[in-house]
Amino acid sequence: MNSPTIFAPPSPVYSSRREFLRRAGSGFGMLALAGLLEHKGLLHSAADAAEAYHNPLAPKPAHFPAKAKSVIWLFMNGGPSQVDTWDYKPELAKRDGQELQGFDKATGFFADQVGPLLKSPFKFRQHGQCGAWVSELFPHMARHVDKMAFLYSCWTDSNNHSPALFKINTGMTRMGFPCLGSWVSYGLGTETQNLPAFVVMYDTLGRGIPKGHSQNWGAGFLPGMYQGTALKPQGAAIDNLSRSPEMTDSQQRDQIDLLAKLNRRNLEQHPDEAELAARIESFELAYRMQMAAPEALDITRETPAVHKLYGLDNSKCTHFAKQCLIARRLVERGVRFVQIYSGGMENQLSWDGHNDIAGNHGGFALETDIPIAGLLADLEARGLLESTLVIWGGEFGRLPVAQKSAKPGRDHNPHAFTVWMAGAGIKGGTLYGRTDEIGHKAVVDRVSVNDLHATILHLLGIDHKRLTYRFNGRDFRLTDVAGFVIQDILA
Amino acid sequence: MRRGFAIDFSCRAPLVPKLSLVPKLSLGTRLRPCHPLVSTLATTFLFAGLTWTAPPAENPTGVARPESSKDVAAESMAPADKPVEPDHAARMARGLEIFKTHVRTVLEKRCVKCHGGKSVESEFNLTNREGLLRGGDSGPAILVGNARESLLYKLINHAKEPHMPHNSPKLPDESIKQIALWIDHGAPYDEPLAAAKSKDPRDASAWTQKRVGEDARQFWSFQPLKRSELPAVKNQSWCRTPIDRFILAKLEEAGISPNPGAEKRQLLRRIYFDLVGLPPPPEAVDGFLQDDSPNAYEKIIDRLLASPQYGERWGRHWLDLARFAESHGFEHDYDRPTAYHYRDFVLRAFNDDLPYDTFIKWQLAGDEFEPENNFALLATGFLAAGVHSTQITIKEVERHRYDEMDDMSATVGTAMLGLTIGCARCHDHKFDPIPQADYYRLLSTFTATVRSELEINFEAEQYKKARAAFDRDHAPFVEALNQYEREELPGRMAEWEDRQGSLERDFPWIILDYASFRSEGGATFTKQDDGSLLVSGKAPPFDTYTLTAHTNLATEGITTIRLEALADASLAKGGPGRAANGNFALSDFRVAVAPAHAPDKRVSIQLKNPRATFEQRGLPVAAAVDNDQKSAWAIDPQVGKNHAAIFEMEPPIQSDGPVILTITLQFKNNTGHSIGRPRLAVTTQKGMVDLDGAALFQPVLRILATPRQQRDPEQSAMLSRWYRTIDPGWQKLNQKVQDHLKIAPKPNLVKAMIASEGLPPVRLHTQGDDLLKETHFLRRGDPEQKEGVADQSFLQVLMTGPEQEKQWRMDPPKGWRTSYRRRALANWLTDPVNGAGHLLARVIVNRLWQHHLGRGIVATPSEFGSRGEPPTHPELLDWLAAELIRHDWRLKPVHKLILTSSVYMQSSRNDASKNKIDRENRLVWRRPVQRLEAEVIRDSLLAVSEALDAKMFGPGTLDEASKRRSIYFTVKRSRIMPMMQVFDSPDALAGIGERPTTTIAPQALLLMNNPQVRSYARSFARRISTDGAMSADEVVRTAYKIALGRLPNAEELADATAFVRRQEESYAAAGKPENRGLRRELALADFCQILMCLNEFVYVD
Repeated sequence: MNSPTIFAPPSPVYSSRREFLRRAGSGFGMLALAGLLEHKGLLHSAADAAEAYHNPLAPKPAHFPAKAKSVIWLFMNGGPSQVDTWDYKPELAKRDGQELQGFDKATGFFADQVGPLLKSPFKFRQHGQCGAWVSELFPHMARHVDKMAFLYSCWTDSNNHSPALFKINTGMTRMGFPCLGSWVSYGLGTETQNLPAFVVMYDTLGRGIPKGHSQNWGAGFLPGMYQGTALKPQGAAIDNLSRSPEMTDSQQRDQIDLLAKLNRRNLEQHPDEAELAARIESFELAYRMQMAAPEALDITRETPAVHKLYGLDNSKCTHFAKQCLIARRLVERGVRFVQIYSGGMENQLSWDGHNDIAGNHGGFALETDIPIAGLLADLEARGLLESTLVIWGGEFGRLPVAQKSAKPGRDHNPHAFTVWMAGAGIKGGTLYGRTDEIGHKAVVDRVSVNDLHATILHLLGIDHKRLTYRFNGRDFRLTDVAGFVIQDILA
Repeated sequence: MRRGFAIDFSCRAPLVPKLSLVPKLSLGTRLRPCHPLVSTLATTFLFAGLTWTAPPAENPTGVARPESSKDVAAESMAPADKPVEPDHAARMARGLEIFKTHVRTVLEKRCVKCHGGKSVESEFNLTNREGLLRGGDSGPAILVGNARESLLYKLINHAKEPHMPHNSPKLPDESIKQIALWIDHGAPYDEPLAAAKSKDPRDASAWTQKRVGEDARQFWSFQPLKRSELPAVKNQSWCRTPIDRFILAKLEEAGISPNPGAEKRQLLRRIYFDLVGLPPPPEAVDGFLQDDSPNAYEKIIDRLLASPQYGERWGRHWLDLARFAESHGFEHDYDRPTAYHYRDFVLRAFNDDLPYDTFIKWQLAGDEFEPENNFALLATGFLAAGVHSTQITIKEVERHRYDEMDDMSATVGTAMLGLTIGCARCHDHKFDPIPQADYYRLLSTFTATVRSELEINFEAEQYKKARAAFDRDHAPFVEALNQYEREELPGRMAEWEDRQGSLERDFPWIILDYASFRSEGGATFTKQDDGSLLVSGKAPPFDTYTLTAHTNLATEGITTIRLEALADASLAKGGPGRAANGNFALSDFRVAVAPAHAPDKRVSIQLKNPRATFEQRGLPVAAAVDNDQKSAWAIDPQVGKNHAAIFEMEPPIQSDGPVILTITLQFKNNTGHSIGRPRLAVTTQKGMVDLDGAALFQPVLRILATPRQQRDPEQSAMLSRWYRTIDPGWQKLNQKVQDHLKIAPKPNLVKAMIASEGLPPVRLHTQGDDLLKETHFLRRGDPEQKEGVADQSFLQVLMTGPEQEKQWRMDPPKGWRTSYRRRALANWLTDPVNGAGHLLARVIVNRLWQHHLGRGIVATPSEFGSRGEPPTHPELLDWLAAELIRHDWRLKPVHKLILTSSVYMQSSRNDASKNKIDRENRLVWRRPVQRLEAEVIRDSLLAVSEALDAKMFGPGTLDEASKRRSIYFTVKRSRIMPMMQVFDSPDALAGIGERPTTTIAPQALLLMNNPQVRSYARSFARRISTDGAMSADEVVRTAYKIALGRLPNAEELADATAFVRRQEESYAAAGKPENRGLRRELALADFCQILMCLNEFVYVD
């Protein structure tokens, strides 16, 4: 059996490659090391270094030609309701107010607040050539349905936020596994060395971060360099990017020059220690990143028209619009994977509409509809949509029955939710899979989370069965022992 | 359906949802039933994929199947008028025809082997129609009447993955066509497929009995330790220790000569970082360099091994393996503020050189081995350290519990045995001889193990001593009281009784004798002789007391009620409240009355004109009867004394017979502010009543009414107990006893997180039970597929000797709260003869080697199974393991063996020619350069800037500005300290035995720009420039010595001084800062920061 890792040829070279992975590393912004070091004459024997080191984040060839170079994952945190957004259920409207006989009350979170079937408070209309039904929540996104492939029949393993978040991010309901973005950075590296390979943005209005916290973008057992870099909502977006205020640029430059000189002298005594050479270069890179990262995040460089397109002028959605625009700037600069969370942590602060589904979803739709539509339009206009995969979805769906409350809400539903994908490699206007007549369970062409992951990796040119990492004696995969590529939505 | 009817009805099948592809059904058309059942069935509307389960008698081919979380089959819907198609019967007959002539053969030949025959892949069993309709992991296999939309059709038609039949040629087109036709015609079966009938009758649970063969033990790590002869070597003089011979023999064989010895200075840095994780202070450098004695090096090793910082350094290695953290993880990542005790245990255990086998035993079962030993109890924090969901829905209770036990077993496996036991959760281990059955038997060790917070009496010995001393001092007080009771009290009581005239006049108040008393919050009441209730036990945030008492006094009219709150030595600050400051806050006081013969006819009594002995500002007694549950009566600062309040009844309670009074006291104003010793009394006096008038206990009244001679002994005793509470002589002596009791020593109780059994589990937002009664064998790891209860055992491949697991088991003493299962596990693990002890020893000595030499003898330190790397020097590994056991499992002697070997003392120098032969240094011809870990880097920064706070132990912090060693950072799972994380410290989710060493730009950014690092640099600068008289040369020399343990060479010195001068000039040119001294400090700080960024600073050679 061939060695399963994407980097490594079979043993015996394997162990030295593993050695390198363990010891070398890189991070956001490392060095195409071997070449660089050789070029700069930093290493006594560049050939040795090339043997010992590959930059783990240097772009790597995929298993097969990729359709997508980058991913933007618009994560509607809290579990948006399929039957109020994309999955039109006239039968549900007809049965509004009826009890759902035999319903398992423990399906959602609040077993003691189960109400009757509840029709969607939103009107639906067909859009585009594909005729996809879209609720009135998303008038702007609705214009783009012909770019989207809808997966109406997704289901997951848990009826609770954090296990479901871990599931959709890492493929496992438990803590401690690498997330999709980390797997992708590990498998493909990144096109830019001056920016993180994998960037996460979460709520900037102080409503919290997704349940399960940074584990949702954690690298698990993969080396830490593959974890998502979460942009901080307050202060400097990335830690330690600006130098001490008491120091000028030239003072710091002098400092780094002397450091390099002393380090090089030390290297002469350890001529074959590639790690030491790599570390010398990491300071140069850090110095450059002080400029590059703020530039990438600076949306004031965009035109007023672009600002308007994303809805930056609309106070309801300015915060999310900024993040969408930053996402575009990042993929434009070669960032591999961007994830944006809409909504914060606790119930009503996210799409988790336990009470007042109309008000809850209405609010979050206003926050996201224009920015996402703007992002799609902008990506398309710049030709970036051809190489960028855009994903919309949450961690699970919501029940067709009401959760009792002064204004009824909906409880968690692991049995059905809708995800759409658009852009690179996606056959636009595809309506895939189906739920039952009331949208309770996925029944036709069911899509597991593993299937979603397999498909996303496929679009990035990765065979999900061959992307593995050995940890504590076992070769792990994002898709564990399951997952099928959903061929029907591929262009 | 054995009624001469062979067709299975499609109407039992789920009807298709409204698919555009399905011909529209003509709604409202009523059908003539084709079978008696149809009339009912036809009215049952079913959603697609929702299976209607027929009654058993009508279910000819049905097989029972447990509900699964993956199950899409679900509940039926409300009845609706959904007719069966008019040609239903005809279609089914046609379908049956197709089945019999074509489909059955195809299914039996090509499908059933994996789907219902030999195995049931993906949980899909198509041997009968019910299984077909139910489908498997991917949902229903078909949509009746619609082949094109059916999963089965898509898979066999290769329109969807996985293509079926799996890994074999596609079905002939004709077969696919016929199957499609059959589905379109309702997919009927005449009877189950042949494979189902002739199914292998083997026991489905046979896997739970699987035995591991003798051959499996042949793998090197499962073998007993071998004590080899020391190998012969040519260069004997190189060898300082037996270790050197093992290494040198292989080097000589490979034609590599070992590196020359490292310089003394290098050696010193090396052992400082290796043993205590700090750079050697300049004095230590000087001292060592000047010490020419032959044992100079050994002396330092001994000193460092004995220093408390050794535990801080090596404890961290163990905490990595133990996935130690101080928060729960998952949704809320709540803190575990009492978890740090385990960290402290580990540090102390290393410092005390606790034998490693004991170290292991206590971490697994300290509570079972030494329940009286705090140290052993705290050790169980190892099992408690894993994540725990803060929010578990009823659907997830079982799965989460199995996850949690898996975490315990897996961590035991990787940390202690270097085996990936967890791999056998869903199937037999693919590479190692660990059958799935062994996994569940081992897992059952933890069936009852829970994470709990226990109050631990630290300094128990001291307390015991202090208590004994106190008891000695206390005895005379008690004796004086006893003597008084024996000699004085009877006479005084008689005198008192004789003196009494009118009881009513002398005792206006009658103290109520409670018929019942209850605390809503679960506090404990103890009746006192004086008629009060002493409250103890649970102290809920808010509480309500409900007390009832019978009385005859209503015949005379009860006018007023008195509530006393009495002081007591058992209460904080002497009470009378239960709050920490001795206060209480009575938010609501109510009285209701009912005739004794009709207790249900209770009426509330209006209370008015309240008066009290004292009222705290803003908290008057009136607030207790103002119908506002939040306002209250309190008495701060008049704590430590008795208080009383009286309330007049409006109107007085008047009754012809006895009544029941129900008195309610609510404490909802302030957390924990209930009354600690309440007493209630009533009076029949009219007009103004004396607030602290004398009171008589109700039962005593009855006794006094009985002539002295007619009283039984019990009555006399009761009277005596009562009387003494009002006897001034007794009161005085008793007060002395009570006063002295106040200075009684108190145990130092501290809450600590441990793991044990039979204690209250730490419970978060869980919707179900905290633990399961039994651990079952789970097919495929799925709690929905249980196969019998797993009885405890261990890994078969690591068990020899008679009676297998029984040799380590022992029954707990009668009445003991734990099962002794963990104790058995620990006994097995540490038994080097018949159990796993030899592997345990190998794994730990390999870890010592790994940390000292950069790479283990087994390069995969937590993988000693077949997927790991084989040992480069198996004889040496066994020799070291045997040495460990010979040294009574103490680690320090093994450290010393390694550190004093010539192998360890080699220089780090790389060498191209040796590289060619052994690039990875497997043969250990050098001691490689090593990057310091995150904690050591930060601790070193603090050390050189002389800012390090050496305080050990206790709660940690999340404050980045803390000056304590990094091991005292709180490990909060959602907030791993950025500085730790960026330098590869673990995320504490799974145990790790080897940290990655990455070199990334964010590390450089941190060292360049982080405010903390910058502050260390400035502090370093101040350290070296305190004396303004020092020349720039001197300052630079000092800095080098502190940071790198050496002096700069001429070139370095010139560069450094030039740099400092330039920076200083540049600050001066900018005019910032104005103060010249500050400018110099900044310039020096810029230079110190360079030293801190040097490769030489973070890499030890």
